[in-house]
Amino acid sequence: MSTAPLPFGRLGVVLIVSLLTLGMASTQATETVWSGLVMANNVPAPTPIPAELTHLEGTLKQLFGYNQFQVIGQSRKSLNNGEENWLATSKYFSLHVDSKGIQGGSSYLLNLQLFQEKKLLLETEARLSKRSPLVIRGPQIGDGQLVLLLVVE
Amino acid sequence: MFMKTFEESWIAWVDGELSGEELAEFKASLPDISVAEMEKQEAFKLGNLLRERIGVRAMANGEFFQHQLLQEIEREAASASPRPETKARESWWSIGRLVWTGAASLALLSVFTFFVMREKTVGGRSAYLTQIIDARVDPAVSPNANISIFESKENKVTVVWVNGLQSLPSEYAAK
Repeated sequence: MSTAPLPFGRLGVVLIVSLLTLGMASTQATETVWSGLVMANNVPAPTPIPAELTHLEGTLKQLFGYNQFQVIGQSRKSLNNGEENWLATSKYFSLHVDSKGIQGGSSYLLNLQLFQEKKLLLETEARLSKRSPLVIRGPQIGDGQLVLLLVVE
Repeated sequence: MFMKTFEESWIAWVDGELSGEELAEFKASLPDISVAEMEKQEAFKLGNLLRERIGVRAMANGEFFQHQLLQEIEREAASASPRPETKARESWWSIGRLVWTGAASLALLSVFTFFVMREKTVGGRSAYLTQIIDARVDPAVSPNANISIFESKENKVTVVWVNGLQSLPSEYAAK
């Protein structure tokens, strides 16, 4: 077996191939943001948690202390340039999301407005990370709680 | 012993190389010995003349031509056999080299992946967590509301916890 050192030209090829592989691996597909208005409450026989929240079930139960989470309004928006806006609505509430662009290649700068009919209850500006869901505790409704969720899928 | 042809015997006779029985046989085969003797003398004279006029010339630069010829022979011999460079090129992608190249590529990929994927921290918190830049409620609508922000380590969830919003009846939970 030959043990001659790698010539620079071939080492360069190896470097380029590695960088290309890394570049391809990090190439991002179009991402989708799921926005939901979720009612949390305690019931004797809770319905299964919606698929969008499955991976957050433990966290939500621990945070809010409820055993049932039901989606009352939702929106799934594909982001192409990160400058889109969308609305997730239920009968009385609407969550308006205005995306102002991608920051640092890994998060979206969002302006969120929660309306109760036409009344603005809450406004938030956030950098939504692709790996970190956003949970907002809304108003108390009956014996439950309105929870807002934003998740990059 | 071969039987000589007439021409061979003639040349040998002119050169004086026939003797004895051979010479006698040849002379006997000649139709006219006197004419043959004349031709022999003329051939002898011609041979002497040629040797005088066209002698073998000694080459003044014989060593140079010999050197040139040797170089040409060496070049032809070298082109006929496989070149060492070609051999080296063919053997570069041997199994061992491929293994080393693959290992080097994987190592580089690991290093790059480590630097790219490692968690960045900004102000003591992960840059990969969702950050709240601002959160506010309308004090006219919810005068007692207050907001706190925290992170749940599990699932890296960022939580905006709003207290004091006006409670609403259960019909507001409608879809």
